[in-house]
Order: sequence, then C-alpha cells, then structure tokens
Amino acid sequence: MKPEPAHALERVLQALLVEIAPAVRPAYRQASVTVHAMVLAAIREEIDRAAARRVEENRALRTLFADAAPSVADAALRERLRAAAASADASLLVPELDAANHALRALLVELHAHVEEQRGDDARRIEAAIWRELAASTERRKLALGPC
Amino acid sequence: MGVSFRESQHGTVRGQRARMRAVSDLERRLAAYLAPRLPGARKVEVSGLDRIHGGASRETSRFVLRYEQDGARVERRLILRRDPPGSLIETDRRVEFAAYRAFHGSAVPVPEPLWLEEDPGPLDYPFFIMEELTGFQSSLPALLAPPYLEHRAKIGLRKWTILGEIAKSDPEKLGLVGLLAPVAPHECWQRELAHWERVLDEDELEPQPVIRAVIRWLRRQPPPPAQKLSVVHADYRTGNFLFDEAGEIRAILDWEMAHLGDPLEDLAWGINAVWQWSRDGLSGSLLPKAEAIRIWEAASGLVAEPRALLWWELFSCVKGQGIWVSGGREYQTGANHDPVLCMSSWMMGNSQDRAALALLGHLP
Repeated sequence: MKPEPAHALERVLQALLVEIAPAVRPAYRQASVTVHAMVLAAIREEIDRAAARRVEENRALRTLFADAAPSVADAALRERLRAAAASADASLLVPELDAANHALRALLVELHAHVEEQRGDDARRIEAAIWRELAASTERRKLALGPC
Repeated sequence: MGVSFRESQHGTVRGQRARMRAVSDLERRLAAYLAPRLPGARKVEVSGLDRIHGGASRETSRFVLRYEQDGARVERRLILRRDPPGSLIETDRRVEFAAYRAFHGSAVPVPEPLWLEEDPGPLDYPFFIMEELTGFQSSLPALLAPPYLEHRAKIGLRKWTILGEIAKSDPEKLGLVGLLAPVAPHECWQRELAHWERVLDEDELEPQPVIRAVIRWLRRQPPPPAQKLSVVHADYRTGNFLFDEAGEIRAILDWEMAHLGDPLEDLAWGINAVWQWSRDGLSGSLLPKAEAIRIWEAASGLVAEPRALLWWELFSCVKGQGIWVSGGREYQTGANHDPVLCMSSWMMGNSQDRAALALLGHLP
C-alpha cells in the first residue's frame, strides 16, 4: 500500500496532536483526543514489527521447548512440549500468530513452574533460558512512550 | 452512501447540544439534591459542571455551588466523584469517602469530604462530593516543567514524609477499623496477593508468564509479618497528589483502594519503576530510591527491611499488572471506551514486566 499505512498513521497522529486537540473543548475531551493520539502512536510503533516479532517469538519458544523436553520428568508435559516444538505457524496473519503465541506462552508458564520445582543442572539451565526468553519477549513488546 | 461533511457537521452540533443538555440536566439534579442538605440556604444553583480527565475509577467533575444564606451570597467550588459504568479499578466509594473524612484536618492533607450518596436515584449512579482545591497541579508534565521542576526534591521530601504519617497513624483512632476489612499482621501479604492473583485469573486477555513467575516467587518466600497494621492508601504515587509552586503538597487524592495492611505496601508501590516518567532513575520522578526510603523511615518510625521491601516491590508489580490487565479487559469488552485503559494495558503492562524483571535481576 502506498502511501504506507505507517506514514498515514503518523500524519493522523500529528493532525490530532497539533491541529485538532488544541481546538477541542472542553478540556476533558481535549485530553481524550490526546490519549487517543497516544494509542495511535503505539499502533504506529507496532504496525511494522507486528508479524516479525510474533514469528520470532513463536520460533524462540518452540526452540526452547525442543531443548527442554528431554529433561522434563513429567511425561505428559514432555509430550506437549514436543508437540508444540514440532508445530508451525499456519500463516503470517497477526490474529493467527497471536493465537499460536498465546498457546505457546501458556505452555511456557507451565514449563517454568515445573522446572522451578526440579533439582539439577538441567533444570537450572532451562530456567535460565526461560528468564532470557522472558526478558527478550518484554523487549520485543517495548513501546517508546513507556516509563521504563 | 456516507454522511456528507455538512451533515456530519450538523451531527457534531447536535452532539454538542445533546451533551450540553445532559450537563444542564445533571446540574439541575445536583442542585435539587443539595438544596435540602444546606439548612437555611435559598436560591441553590449549580453551574460550570466540567468533567476532569483522569480518575480512571470514577467520573470526576468540578462544579460551582451558589446559594444565599443569612442574606449573604455563598459560592463553593466542589468536586463530584460519580461511579461510572466500568472502570480501571473496582472500588468502594464508602471506603474512599471514609478515608477523606478520617484524614481531613490531620498531618495528611486531603480535601474536605461533604456528602456521600449510595442511592443511584439522584444522579443515576452512586457518588460523593468534596471540596475542590484550586490553583494546584497534579500532572506529571507539570511536575517536569518550570516552575515545579526545581522543587522536585522538596515535593519528594513532602511526599514520603506524608506517606510516613499515613503509615504511623492509628487506624482505630481514625475511626477506620470498623469500615476497612480486618486483617492480621501475618496475613496482609496473603490477602493482597490472593486478591490480585484472582484479578489476573479473571481478567487477563493473554498469558502473563513474567507476572506468573513473580507470583510463584512471592509464594515461595513470604515476607515477615507487618511491623504494624496501617491504613494503606494503595495508590500512593506521583500523579495522585496536588502540589503548589513552592513545592508543598496540598492534598493526597484517590483513596479508593484504601485498606488495612502492611505499610511497606504503600512504600513499595510509590517507588515502583513504572512511575519513573522522568527517566532519570528518580523514584516517582522526584528523589533517588534510597533517599525516599530514608525519609519514609524517619517519618514513620518504621523500618524498611530490604528483604521485606523487595517482596512488596515485586508484589506491587503483580498488583500493577492486575490493574493494567483489568483495564485492558474493560476496553476490549466495551465496558469502558476510555483510551487510557487501552494505553495502560499495552504500555504500562510492558513496563510493569520490565520493572519485575529488573527487580529479579533478569533484565540485561
């Protein structure tokens, strides 16, 4: 699409902040327009990376599960990890990537809780890998407007 | 076919007129409510009803009340806090009103609470009314610009001194023991953690692996019992108090989540990294964390033991995520269209995870 959607969003955002919000009364509605502009700023930041960050994260989670599965004592959890590791994203549509991501992240919560209760170097290695992935996932979602 | 620009303009004008009629109707109903509550008052009028942005748990509006009494014309500027259909935080207006009443006239500055109405009849939703303190600021952008910027250290000193006063106060002497749910000192952490975990269970729209890991961490290593049972404001942060151009804090606001509990809960919430909007490492955009803790300890006479404080700091990340997640659900389901809820869910939710990871030493 030309002009690019991100460019159009940028223009709408600027118009809201610079041209429209200052003319809106009362103050409550003016502030509301400004916050709506912030929502657009976040969408502007997300739109280019939306599919890429989901694909990257789903791949990282599947790799983590493949690595962790042999060391997981719980047979049922081990099989679910192997199945998840062998799965693939059906398409690059964001809602479908999100559905897969939510399923993978729910399984990550279970794996994390499981390895926390296990002893041994393998459990600690997997736990460290999970924390690295959690930090990376937080970075992937970071928004420039956030306080930290 | 779409609506023409001219029709759209007419629609906008019609919308404005409808809003003006709604405001005028609310002013009339407010005056009718207040008239019998002002003994000896005549010609009671309400005007200038103007909604204030923010206050995500209640609709907040300012208005002017005028009447004649003993031959004199009286004018009061007041605040109306009305329950909305949906909100960021589900809270009890009776608790908020009681907290204002308990601290009014004490070392903890608050506006004077005036009337509490729990019957939705008069204004469609329950509400309370309190005095408006005018000429002061509460916003972060104001704090980070002249003339307030140079007073940040003083505001920080006052902020954590007042919090120490809240921690030090006796809930029984304040008359709050019967109103706030009782809790034993060793059970404070369990009650709060269970509450916010339940909020996450009910409201999360997607898995929260960081905060779930934090919850397990908190359960594995519980904190010591509270040193004392205190009134916990529960949203004590920069943005929830009024300050003036001399760096004095004039009122502590937004007591809607107040409860009895461990005073470290408030300290930890106030120094949570998500309130560092100034991005200069200052807690609450005001003072270094160690300085804030020192001031609080001096004012409260209590000790912020590092291990216990870390527990409550991590808990504050769980609570924060609970708030952002519930706001996101309200927005997603259409219960509340305030864009702050959407923005909080995205932006603050991510920052909250980052804050938790940093506290646990897992953020590179």
